[in-house]
Amino acid sequence: MDDRAFTLLSAMLTGYDGAALAATGCLPAYRRQVEAVAGPELAARMADAGAALAATTDDAAREAQARETVLADPDLGPLARSLIQLWYLGQWVPMPADWVSRNGARREDVARILSPLSYREGLVWDAIGAHPLGAKPQGFGAWAQEPPASPEAGS
Amino acid sequence: MSEYDAVIVGGGISGALVAKRLAAEGKRVLILEAGADDGDKPETYRAYHTAYQLNPIKVPNSPYAQNPSAPSPTVLDIGPIAPGAPDHAGYFVQKGPLPFRSDYLRALGGTSLHWLGTCLRMQPRDFRTASEFGHGVDWPLSYDDLAPWYEQAEWELGVSGDKADNDFAGIHFSAEYDFPMEPIPKSHLDRWLEDGVRGMRVRLAGGEHSELCVASTPVARNSIPRRETYMVGGEPAGPYDAAGATGPYAFQGQRCEGNSSCIPLCPIQAKYNALKTLEQARRSGLVDIITQAVVSKVEKDPATGRITGLLYKKYAFPGASVWEMKRVEGTIYVLATNAIENAKLALASGLCGASDQLGRNLMDHPYVNVWGLAPVPIGSFRGPGSTASIPSLRDGDFRSEVAPVRLEFDNWGWNFAANAPYSDVSRMVEEEGLFGPALRHRLRERVQRQVRIGIMPEQTPSRYNRVTIDPAWRDSLGEPRPVLEYDVDEYSRAGILQGVDVTLEMFRRLGIENHTHWDPNDPGYVSLGGRGFVYFGAGHNAGTHRIGTCASDSVTDVGGRSWEHDNLWLVGCGAMPTIATSNPTLTMTALVLMAAESMKHALEGKA
Repeated sequence: MDDRAFTLLSAMLTGYDGAALAATGCLPAYRRQVEAVAGPELAARMADAGAALAATTDDAAREAQARETVLADPDLGPLARSLIQLWYLGQWVPMPADWVSRNGARREDVARILSPLSYREGLVWDAIGAHPLGAKPQGFGAWAQEPPASPEAGS
Repeated sequence: MSEYDAVIVGGGISGALVAKRLAAEGKRVLILEAGADDGDKPETYRAYHTAYQLNPIKVPNSPYAQNPSAPSPTVLDIGPIAPGAPDHAGYFVQKGPLPFRSDYLRALGGTSLHWLGTCLRMQPRDFRTASEFGHGVDWPLSYDDLAPWYEQAEWELGVSGDKADNDFAGIHFSAEYDFPMEPIPKSHLDRWLEDGVRGMRVRLAGGEHSELCVASTPVARNSIPRRETYMVGGEPAGPYDAAGATGPYAFQGQRCEGNSSCIPLCPIQAKYNALKTLEQARRSGLVDIITQAVVSKVEKDPATGRITGLLYKKYAFPGASVWEMKRVEGTIYVLATNAIENAKLALASGLCGASDQLGRNLMDHPYVNVWGLAPVPIGSFRGPGSTASIPSLRDGDFRSEVAPVRLEFDNWGWNFAANAPYSDVSRMVEEEGLFGPALRHRLRERVQRQVRIGIMPEQTPSRYNRVTIDPAWRDSLGEPRPVLEYDVDEYSRAGILQGVDVTLEMFRRLGIENHTHWDPNDPGYVSLGGRGFVYFGAGHNAGTHRIGTCASDSVTDVGGRSWEHDNLWLVGCGAMPTIATSNPTLTMTALVLMAAESMKHALEGKA
């Protein structure tokens, strides 16, 4: 899976654009993680699905296509859902048992936070209008202010 | 003649403050700390922060590696207990009937590394619950007796607070006194709740009515130092300089910047921890600290009862299979570990047995979560864990019937109650099938409205809630593991349910949708009158060596000096006869400072 295909797929799945994802510094590590668990064949299928999604310009059609070709697929779906959670939480969610029995067990397929960076760069904190607990503080007294009304960064 | 005037067991808040106070009088002090070497290095503190970020389970002890040579309990140890089958999966051996759900930390700095920092005073009637309400026991001292020590404690820990917001239920402050720092601002959530409950009257047990109010919480967390001079414990003090802990600029404390991780650690050490006081104590040049030293026995002279020395096991590194037994002597000895370890060590050494109170009266705040979704975004997951609470149910005549509670507002959404936002992401992705912009918007919409209120009831002392030791249960150094018996009585349960009712009334008034769910399979699930709920531990372990007026019903005198062993002091939350509805650290600190005064007099031959 090349970086471009992986970025397109990640952007589609997370709702954050490629620039925002690249800015986390986590793209290479997350691509390696998905490839390691998926194996070459499934990784290639994922890359193709990502490229096909990127070629679809209509939002509604693309969403339907993502569901059909990726999220509803018994092999790609679990990978995609774990990838979303990896982006949002910095944490890998292992594949379900039936997936493992079809595709094999991999040593990388364990529940873990990949790195302190991946914890800090979890998209969930931006999505909820806050900051990672224990990092990127907003400053003294910021908590007394109203929460931001709409997404501020990484749109 | 021994080398040290005082030998202290434990390098947490109590031990550090005793060391600092005695060294200020020119005394030579040794601290023996069970935790690992290098606990005072900035690199170690940074490593704690990294470990916290990497640990997928964020509980109070997550940043601090388990030390096999001096194990700590963790809240993850808790499992079911059956009659005759204690739960011994963790460090504690729990005989029940209910699990004791709190932890502590055996490392330099102690549990202060992961505490929240709350510094509430007890209310005047909290000191005489037996005579006022027929529950618990009366203290051997009053609020007014302790007030000057509270003032000193607030300056030692560096408390940010607002007098005008905290003079309820008889708590009063001297006109010449103020907290050393301005209050930590209330969160957006605090003020939204405050506006919503303004003028709300609730009916309490016994028919009493109470009007709810919201008070900002005094906390040992740096804000803006006040530039005035005040009378603190009868002495002029100030202007205050905010303190840091480790690192080259430790003398210049940082101001809280809203890292929102007070528990389990403040990355910039704006929150007080005992490393700050240890650093100040060491500047005297009179304080030595030996780490990786687990005290095994306190030796006494059988004829006089006086303590003659301490035996400790010095291990080479955490998990080392060998250790060296060493001995040290001092003029006086101070047990300053924590309520459970103090009791364990004294029991293992055959001390303080006459009153049969040692190890008994173990207390905590059995803490209950109530949570819901506000109708508007309230700014969760920003700022210190808690910045305000409702004190209105902390005191009242209803205390004859049900336990008082504090209603604590939480700024971190459902993090404690439901592992948010992790559980939200997982549910939305795995179960609700959300992805892309829809996921992102749904997360904001849901998580920004999460409200949690913690109900913190008084637990009264019971002789059946206790710490014991048993030769069958030992740790890797051969030291006894604490064996715990624990229950939550009907008085506390009834108080909790009154707190739940008031909280749900608030929810209805403010349009907060109740999402509270208590799992009947949870080890902390208990009920009263058919109404069940789940309690957690608050980490407020107290009561096991209480102070008192006579040797027959207490372990030490009011100054922490053992009734039976003339040169032994036991300090820490174990000294507290009752726990009230305030987080105990500030009261513990005030008692420790009193105890240090008692030690000073003893060393000078005045008592």
